[in-house]
Amino acid sequence: MADDPLTHKNENGHSADPQSQEQKLQTMISALWERSRHTVVERAALLRTAGELLVDNRLDQATQRHAVDSAHKLAGVLGTFGLPRGTDLAREAEELFGQSMPPSKPEIERLQVLLAELTHLIDLGPVGAR
Amino acid sequence: MERLPAFENHARILMTPRILIIDDEDDIRQVAAMSLETVAGWDVLLASSGKQGIERASTEQPDAILLDVMMPEMDGPTTLLKLKANGSTSHIPVLLLTAKVQGPDQKKFAEMGVAAILFKPFDPLTLARQISAALGWKDGG
Repeated sequence: MADDPLTHKNENGHSADPQSQEQKLQTMISALWERSRHTVVERAALLRTAGELLVDNRLDQATQRHAVDSAHKLAGVLGTFGLPRGTDLAREAEELFGQSMPPSKPEIERLQVLLAELTHLIDLGPVGAR
Repeated sequence: MERLPAFENHARILMTPRILIIDDEDDIRQVAAMSLETVAGWDVLLASSGKQGIERASTEQPDAILLDVMMPEMDGPTTLLKLKANGSTSHIPVLLLTAKVQGPDQKKFAEMGVAAILFKPFDPLTLARQISAALGWKDGG
């Protein structure tokens, strides 16, 4: 496809310069992260609450389901925003909250550690948004 | 009318593809739309539920549908079955977008007539290329 020499846009109307496309997209995603951040923070907070209830052996089924759902959604979105480690941690949390048997003491301890790391990562945000 | 895949693929190079994204999560819809519009220059349609997605697919006739699996009320697989059962949407290729990675789910989805399965989290820079490759389109943006 021929590029327009003035705008560097091709016949589809989008920029033909891959670096420019990448920068533009990164800027847009950073802005979207700022708008979406409160939802991500709320989901992480729900996971921490569920984790605390689990420690006290007071986690009810409804909160457990919400925790699994929140962890699943975080796993699906964090990597797209540039936090692949956040996706890994959220997947692990989803698995631990979702298992049919109550988690063992080491699993609960692991959950607390990974939720603390997840919270820290979300507080920092993606590199491009810092 | 009988469709000719080779002709459609050729036509795809000449026209700007239109993709319908069906996902209940605002941030996923928006980042996918930004990605396809900015990187590939495609036209993007949005729907926040399976029901709305079926309606938009029927009226707007997109070239492909990117469909989330886990949605409240009507989930992705149910939406897919309804799209495939509807004469006005059955020909539109559907790509499932899922954060689930288990093998049995993939097999089940493939049997339901899905064109491809894409995984969350996706890379916004390569999403259009993934879709193009999965559908045999030549211009991936």
